[in-house]
Amino acid sequence: MSATWRGVFTFNKYSQITASAVRKSLKESQRLAAEKRGITALRYQVWENGKGGEQIILDPAQDSDPKANKAAV
Amino acid sequence: MFARRTAARVITQPSLLAAPSNARNMATLREIELRLKSVRNIEKITKSMKMIASTKLAKAQRAMQSGKLYGEANAEVFETAKEGVTGSRKLFLVLSSDKGLCGGIHSSVTKATRRAFNNAPDSPIPGVSVESDTSVMVIGDKSKAQLSRIYPDNLKLTFNQIGRDVPTFADAAGVADLVVKSGVEYDSVVIIYNKFVSAISYEAAAVEVKGEKALKESEGFKKYEMEDDFTKDLAEFSLANALYATLTESHACEISARRNAMDNASKNAGDMIGSLTMQYNRGRQAAITNELVDIITGASAL
Repeated sequence: MSATWRGVFTFNKYSQITASAVRKSLKESQRLAAEKRGITALRYQVWENGKGGEQIILDPAQDSDPKANKAAV
Repeated sequence: MFARRTAARVITQPSLLAAPSNARNMATLREIELRLKSVRNIEKITKSMKMIASTKLAKAQRAMQSGKLYGEANAEVFETAKEGVTGSRKLFLVLSSDKGLCGGIHSSVTKATRRAFNNAPDSPIPGVSVESDTSVMVIGDKSKAQLSRIYPDNLKLTFNQIGRDVPTFADAAGVADLVVKSGVEYDSVVIIYNKFVSAISYEAAAVEVKGEKALKESEGFKKYEMEDDFTKDLAEFSLANALYATLTESHACEISARRNAMDNASKNAGDMIGSLTMQYNRGRQAAITNELVDIITGASAL
């Protein structure tokens, strides 16, 4: 068995997509708690020949998340 | 740190205040007073940072406990598939965070990476030789700054904005996804992280996660009779699992180290306040005595 998604993205991406689908289908009260676990503000930089490239936000949709602007402690 | 800067300023200033001795005495008193004030403010800040870290610590430790289970479940497969050729191509993944003021957390992992690269006897992965062109990926700005000075050409990917709050599995999956997609070839990933020993101590440790090829070649793993596609999935997913376990552990270490660092800073500030108050009171008393002496000599001269 070989699904078509394998050519497009990795298993982790696949599992994240299915996980968010499950989270969205939960009841309101549980959904809020569960969606917090799916939040990532990850940014990354690709390095080439000792130089860092631009900062890329993994998931731009979550960048406007209020948590991201929380005071740094 | 701030106090030292103030001290330097206090020392350089008196040359400007070449007033009569009495006036200069008053100026020093004023300066001591100012310094006391700033040290008190710093103490307040460090104390509140300690409080915040203390409250976060409980949460981080709970996350670490649950995160560890992912790592343990993950390690079981690798325990079975232990033997077999382990390729020499490694990929180092160094875990730290973006924020400072937490003691030697960041330099601990950086130093461990350097030890591994130098094949030092106390390397975190004993008995494994590391090629000098091994790729390095870093999570967290602090270690990125340190490692980009030492191994600028080995850096392939860096991540940040992790560890602001308790790391989520989405963070780990995102990193694992990018590692797999980056096109860097590896036989196994070595994750260097801070191991939580107790609330006051931590040490750098390494976890090795095998890649798809290494798993396929392992005798023990063949018993599972996995299909090729699923082996690839397993290798990717176990990387995410191992990352999640180590991320939560590093996070707990960082918070506890920050708590301790802030505890020490508050203690030092307290000591400094004590000695400054003493100095201030002594100076004040001396000024009063001087004035009294002046009055009495003036009166007796009449």
